[in-house]
Amino acid sequence: MTKRFGTTVALDNVDTIVEPGSITAIIGPSGSGKTTLLRALSLLEPPDSGTIRVDSASYDFPLEEEQQIIPPWPKVTVVFQQLFLWPHLTLQQNLRLPLRGLDAAVVTPRINHLVQKFNLLSCIDRFPNQTSLGQRQRAALVRALVLQPSYLLLDEITSALDLESISVVLGHLEELRNEGVGILIVTHLTGFARRAADRIIFLESGCVLESGGREVLENPSHERVKRFLSVMGEN
Amino acid sequence: MFDIITQYREGIMGGLQVTLQMCLIIWSSGIVIGAILGTASSKWKAIVGWPLRAGTFILSGLPVLVLLFWVHYPLQSILNITINPFYTAVAVLSAINIFGIAELVRGALDDFPVQYVSAAKVCGLNPRDIAMYIQLPIILRQLLPGLLTLQVAMLQATLFASLISVEEIFRVAQRINAQVYRPIPVYTALGLFFLMICLPLNGLALLLRKRYTRDLSEN
Repeated sequence: MTKRFGTTVALDNVDTIVEPGSITAIIGPSGSGKTTLLRALSLLEPPDSGTIRVDSASYDFPLEEEQQIIPPWPKVTVVFQQLFLWPHLTLQQNLRLPLRGLDAAVVTPRINHLVQKFNLLSCIDRFPNQTSLGQRQRAALVRALVLQPSYLLLDEITSALDLESISVVLGHLEELRNEGVGILIVTHLTGFARRAADRIIFLESGCVLESGGREVLENPSHERVKRFLSVMGEN
Repeated sequence: MFDIITQYREGIMGGLQVTLQMCLIIWSSGIVIGAILGTASSKWKAIVGWPLRAGTFILSGLPVLVLLFWVHYPLQSILNITINPFYTAVAVLSAINIFGIAELVRGALDDFPVQYVSAAKVCGLNPRDIAMYIQLPIILRQLLPGLLTLQVAMLQATLFASLISVEEIFRVAQRINAQVYRPIPVYTALGLFFLMICLPLNGLALLLRKRYTRDLSEN
């Protein structure tokens, strides 16, 4: 797929796949197009040209005149880097609103399980601005997880978490992967990518410089990737 | 003070009635027409938005009293018509309120953080639920404090109508004082009347601003 903003090519013939039951990690420097790729794949900002396939559904761009598409939400859902928790709702309400219309007998245990798992019990009735950044980050992830998506797109979701919380989150992502969820995560944690990712994509200036399994991190062939990883170190 | 209120209660009630009638028309026309105009100006920026902003800009440079006098005296003279000063005052103050509210609504809509809608979309919420549970509550929380403050200002602006002979509460107070010459109880009673209405509204605006501005910031 290709995506332009004015004369700037944000994504240049990027080809990627997120398989069910796998974790794909996207790494790269700031401004390389990682978030643009994530937003394009989620159909929030569709590409200018290309094709996105979600299971049996296919979305071809550019769209024909007056053609409408039905996005695959929340089968495909996103956790944004800036979180975007609804500020006028408590964390509890943030989690419940997407499940509006479902039976309380289904909603309550689902939410309670995840709230306990991600240690949000103490702050669940507070508004987002009354909680720490780490709590908000976990709440944003839980809001996506309560939807039980088939594909989960995550944009730097661990940036404000302590090591213990990161371990909890990443452990849960591995569980989701084992349950068949396809996960795409934008991350700067090369340690996590090395540990858990089945596929790694290195993006720079909207182009895929290198993609593959863990060998992308252990033995990159592209010089730019080598330079980037040498600066990042192990984290 | 109370003996004056008792003695002149019919006149005072009449003046109060006129003031409240003016307020009712100014407030309701402002809220309804202002909301529609503000929404239209956010949606059709070139056709409605820019003229609205130009009109608001011009009005902001004109003192209310000057505008009121100009519509009451020169404009009627130019058009060779005579309009009941009550309607002149209501029309002028309603126009000011409409433009003010329209600008508030336009600002709230234009400044609405679209990322909250993005988050709602990927959670599978439909457009109706997004409007009802995300957009409307956030926009109302942004609007209410400014809206209340503006309506209080409009109530206080109705005093200017006394200068074009509208028999509202201030003019009634002036006429009572001209008869009895007891400015302290007369104008104290008038002040208390406005305090009783304006203070609670201003207090509510302050409370809403404090609470909802805090709640609307994620950080």
